[in-house]
Amino acid sequence: MSNLNSTSKKAVGRKTSGLDKVLRVALYTVLIIVAAFYLMPFIVMLITSLKDVEEIRTGTLLSLPASLHFDSWSKAWSSACTGSSCGGISPYFMNSFQIVLPAVAISTLVGAINGYVISLWKFRGSDFFFAAMLVGCFIPFQVILLPMAQTLGWLGIANTTTGLVFVHVVYGVAFTTLFFRNFYQSIPSELVKAARLDGAGFFTIFYRIILPVSTPIIVVTVIWQFTQIWNDFLFGVAFSGFDTQPVTVALNNLVNTSFGGKEYNVDMAAAIIAALPTLAVYVFAGKYFVRGLTAGAVKG
Amino acid sequence: MANLVIDNVKKRYGETEILKGINISIKAGEFLILVGPSGCGKSTLMNSIAGLEDVSEGRILIADKDVTYTSPKDRDIAMVFQSYALYPNMTVEQNISFGLEMRKVPKTERDVEVQRVAELLQISHLLDRKPAQLSGGQRQRVAMGRALARRPQLYLFDEPLSNLDAKLRVEMRTEIKKLHKKLGTTIVYVTHDQIEAMTLADRIAVMKDGEVQQLGTPQEIYDNPANLFVAGFMGSPAMNFIPANVIEKEGTPMLELATSSTVALPFPKSETLKDYIGKTILLGLRPEMITEPQPHKEGQPFVTTTDIEVEVTEPMGADTMILTRVNDAEINCRSNPMYPAEAGSIIKMMFDTSKAVAFDNESGERIDI
Repeated sequence: MSNLNSTSKKAVGRKTSGLDKVLRVALYTVLIIVAAFYLMPFIVMLITSLKDVEEIRTGTLLSLPASLHFDSWSKAWSSACTGSSCGGISPYFMNSFQIVLPAVAISTLVGAINGYVISLWKFRGSDFFFAAMLVGCFIPFQVILLPMAQTLGWLGIANTTTGLVFVHVVYGVAFTTLFFRNFYQSIPSELVKAARLDGAGFFTIFYRIILPVSTPIIVVTVIWQFTQIWNDFLFGVAFSGFDTQPVTVALNNLVNTSFGGKEYNVDMAAAIIAALPTLAVYVFAGKYFVRGLTAGAVKG
Repeated sequence: MANLVIDNVKKRYGETEILKGINISIKAGEFLILVGPSGCGKSTLMNSIAGLEDVSEGRILIADKDVTYTSPKDRDIAMVFQSYALYPNMTVEQNISFGLEMRKVPKTERDVEVQRVAELLQISHLLDRKPAQLSGGQRQRVAMGRALARRPQLYLFDEPLSNLDAKLRVEMRTEIKKLHKKLGTTIVYVTHDQIEAMTLADRIAVMKDGEVQQLGTPQEIYDNPANLFVAGFMGSPAMNFIPANVIEKEGTPMLELATSSTVALPFPKSETLKDYIGKTILLGLRPEMITEPQPHKEGQPFVTTTDIEVEVTEPMGADTMILTRVNDAEINCRSNPMYPAEAGSIIKMMFDTSKAVAFDNESGERIDI
């Protein structure tokens, strides 16, 4: 222990030359500038949402609010008009959750099983199957709009939350399969062989042995799918009904609906509210994201 | 405990034939080692026995029961893998008892079994750890414990020691041998390490290109290799192959040897060489049969002393390997370290051909059988 202390002291007490200090200051200056540049839009949004309409009209973009007004937030949440209804974005916020949670859960689970099969239960043509799945990652949203509308109609789930969940699952499975497949590629196939000899079946092996070691990639997939689906606008606007619109569509409607003057403060508050869940997901699980993305990718 | 019969097993991937008709039969309690260079099909054969790969043709019988199309879990076998394949999310205890749990053994019995195995392998103090917290040797023990816990009819070991460092490998090798003696289990063991094969096996199957080249006890394989490949593969340093002319001397075929002087070596089954008089054959002679002159061997039949020129010496402690050239082939001789042998000097060496073997120069097959 004493050894450790003395070496660490030595490291700290190392003489830094003048040039070192200058470079260090320069480095932090650059970092702070870049960080500020990226934070600026959010700061503008935040301070704008806290001003009242009068102050926005007279003041500059960056001037701080004279007094804090939180009423724009409550208005955005519960009474702002989106199109013809005036209940704020809260019902749509809930819609988004109703779409996102099942869609994320199902697409992640299906992706995990797909990846498990493609990597660890190789069958004749499994590589082709994977290549075909991969193509799904490159299909633009717009291409599937019409066929998907048709399909939803046939299935009788057009304009419903279920329909939107279905769309997001179908579109998301290509990505989730890719994630899990790459991750499971680094798991030795002997693990599955051993479990088979131990008497475990397909799902038992998946549930008891593979899933417990999949935490990093599950986190990555959940973050990815959550942000993708939460932020989706096109599918939301194309396939939702009046009551089933996700928050992104409602935000658009809110911003485009105006009686009299534009209420920028309400717009900003609504936009921040709409972005909060994805922000929260990144803050809580961000460190896993980077770790999981590189797993498998940098395999030796 | 069960016997194992592999009956004309073939395995094809499309056009390529990986196993070309394997026939091996071992008794209950026997320790069989499959040995051969990588790509010889030994791991494929192992997987076929385990049921992890289907065979294209032939039958596999365990305990006189045809299991060719039985799923792995119903074959009652356990396997130890090269990478150990321990379940990373489970403790050592869970790893060992997983197979029992899958077979619906009650918890109390499982605990008893885990204790028994842990004591047997001296890993009782590790039961609560995860595999990541174990050293290589400990993981190896746990992997064996997992196999032992189920008391299967047949154990398969797939290069279980190749991930260990040299010292540990020797220790574990001894331990596996002791374990086999103690439990009397039937074991099929794959390795590419011919020393492991020699020390552990009751019988060795030497494989190459999807075929069994020879199946026999270690001593048979060592002394009586079926062909050039087996002779060259088993033994370290490898057997010397000396191209030698067959000459006739007083009615018996002998082998001409040109070192610093030319001598004729007698050969045990000289009558088998009759057809080769005037031709060149490959004489197979193990390094330990070329030694410094040993007084007690003097005058014995098949012993010839001649001069050689030392090219290089490699002291190994117990012996010193002397490299020289005979009939333009580089050969190894094993001599006593006390015997003076300077590089470049000419010394006397004793060639003992009583266990020499002869191979056809073209086909590589044994001549003198």
